[in-house]
Amino acid sequence: MNSATRFRSAALVVLPAVALLVASASFAWLSSRSPSRMSLELAWTGPDEGRPLGSGDAGVDLLALVTHSTFRALVLAGVVASFGFLVGAPLGAAAGLAGGRFERWTLRACDLVQSFPTFLLALAVLSAVTVPSRLHIGAVFCVGVWAPFARLSLAQARVLGEAQFVEAARALGAGRMRVVGRHVLPNLLGPVAVQIGTAAAGVVLGETALGFVGLGPPDGVSLGALLEQGTLGMLRAPHVLAVGAVAVAMVSGSLQLASEGLRRLIHVS
Amino acid sequence: MTRPEDGPQPVGRAADILKAVRRVLLAVFERTAGALVVLWVLASLVFLALRLLPGDPAALILGDQASEEARSLLRSRLGLDEPLSVQYASFIFGLFKLDIGESLARPGVLAFDEVGKALGPTAALAGIAVGLGAMLGIAAALLSVGPWLGEKREWAHRVILTVAATPLLAFAPLATFALAVEWRLVPLPGDPDSGFGGLAFASALLSLPLAAQVGRIGRAALLDQARAKWLETAAAKGASSTRVWLVHALPVASAPIAVVVATQLGALLGGAVVLERLFERPGLGTLMLNAYAARDIPVLEASVVAAGLLFVLAQGMAGALSAMIDPRGYSE
Repeated sequence: MNSATRFRSAALVVLPAVALLVASASFAWLSSRSPSRMSLELAWTGPDEGRPLGSGDAGVDLLALVTHSTFRALVLAGVVASFGFLVGAPLGAAAGLAGGRFERWTLRACDLVQSFPTFLLALAVLSAVTVPSRLHIGAVFCVGVWAPFARLSLAQARVLGEAQFVEAARALGAGRMRVVGRHVLPNLLGPVAVQIGTAAAGVVLGETALGFVGLGPPDGVSLGALLEQGTLGMLRAPHVLAVGAVAVAMVSGSLQLASEGLRRLIHVS
Repeated sequence: MTRPEDGPQPVGRAADILKAVRRVLLAVFERTAGALVVLWVLASLVFLALRLLPGDPAALILGDQASEEARSLLRSRLGLDEPLSVQYASFIFGLFKLDIGESLARPGVLAFDEVGKALGPTAALAGIAVGLGAMLGIAAALLSVGPWLGEKREWAHRVILTVAATPLLAFAPLATFALAVEWRLVPLPGDPDSGFGGLAFASALLSLPLAAQVGRIGRAALLDQARAKWLETAAAKGASSTRVWLVHALPVASAPIAVVVATQLGALLGGAVVLERLFERPGLGTLMLNAYAARDIPVLEASVVAAGLLFVLAQGMAGALSAMIDPRGYSE
């Protein structure tokens, strides 16, 4: 596959996530529809011309609610996943190159963090604040998000540290910093960056689950709160549930696809 | 080429057994230590979270309108008027005695008794889901690599990938709406009279994400050995393809499968809480969320610690299982 077709096939797969982000962002900013304004007389009514997706609990506009929630979920997921990448990748690379005790302790820390049930951690941490906000929820996810990045980057660094081209660079007299900066890091960042999409999808689902069980942001603008409305009104207004479920599946699915696109772009098998 | 140390060594049997015992003990010790650290951190976090909260916990529980007497009474009942270190010591000590005080929402009932009642339904839900998920996943993985479906086995792979990409949160409410509400094929699991049918339906929903992950990893592990010589040998000796895959290939692939189950347990626990909330079934998740909403401090602490214990126990079992199947990673 030449690079042009590779780029095209990668771009096609990344497209849904980008389109979703742009669409939800522009709608959330440009439209005057409010995701939380209530019009009780419209509660649980189905789609019509004024409201293409219908109305939910207490008559909130579902179109506004779903776009605002999607945008906020994507931003939160992007920020948390980038944090994981920025912390985990250098840490893992340093541990993989240094080896020895540093490497062992980093792996131990990853084990420990990854063996935490995120849900219990979130519950414990969120009970420390009177009203949980998106910032707190993001902080909870940040506790564990770096570990998969560090693990991946550590494994990659160990392989690269012994790769022949790195050995060749050393033999040609390149200094330690040059070897790391010019040869190891550029080859390491790509495969580790692929993880961003997967991590972001995980954050979206985690935030949705927390919102669904009532640990979400208090303004009720989140995919989880939307799903909760849907299950509450399942009997009288199934369209709310359909909107929520499709939105969650679309957001997490498009992020997973974006991960696949990145993988194709940098050609990791 | 065979090196001398590869052959059987009749002399070192006793030493080998001793080494194996040491290896197992070391692995058990390491796992127990890790599990205890996880439990301790969780317990301390939930303890500190409720006490470091800005403002008066008593006011938070009773509301702003409560009188000062009522608040100070509650503070002394919870021990909040003592120094933090004394509270912490008695909290940790209470965890060992399974007594950290009475529920605030239901006075007279010990917090751990509430947890004990809720533990059963959640353990049943999660336990059935793990068993079902492992079986479904292994079946799907076998179907996607074995010869039974012929050309259609690619479809088994697609089903695995589709289920893996569909979040439980999206399909569980939809499936409930379609199967239990519209078509009434299965009982609604939230109905107290739904009995085993309701439990089975809820567990089946919870098992699907696990099954998809097991299917993905199991398929990769099976494909890894698809060209292995011993499978060829077995086939050449006249074993049917069913026997080759089930008896010769599957046991080798079961170590990575046990690892996947262990890593998916956290997601499973979260899923169990979500499903309990969705169906309003009694259980640990419901208890935890209600205690959180009502700021029932003793019950919240007890349920978080109990859920953590359930989780580390299940994780330890899955880990020990994978170490038993494939001891290679634990040789040091």
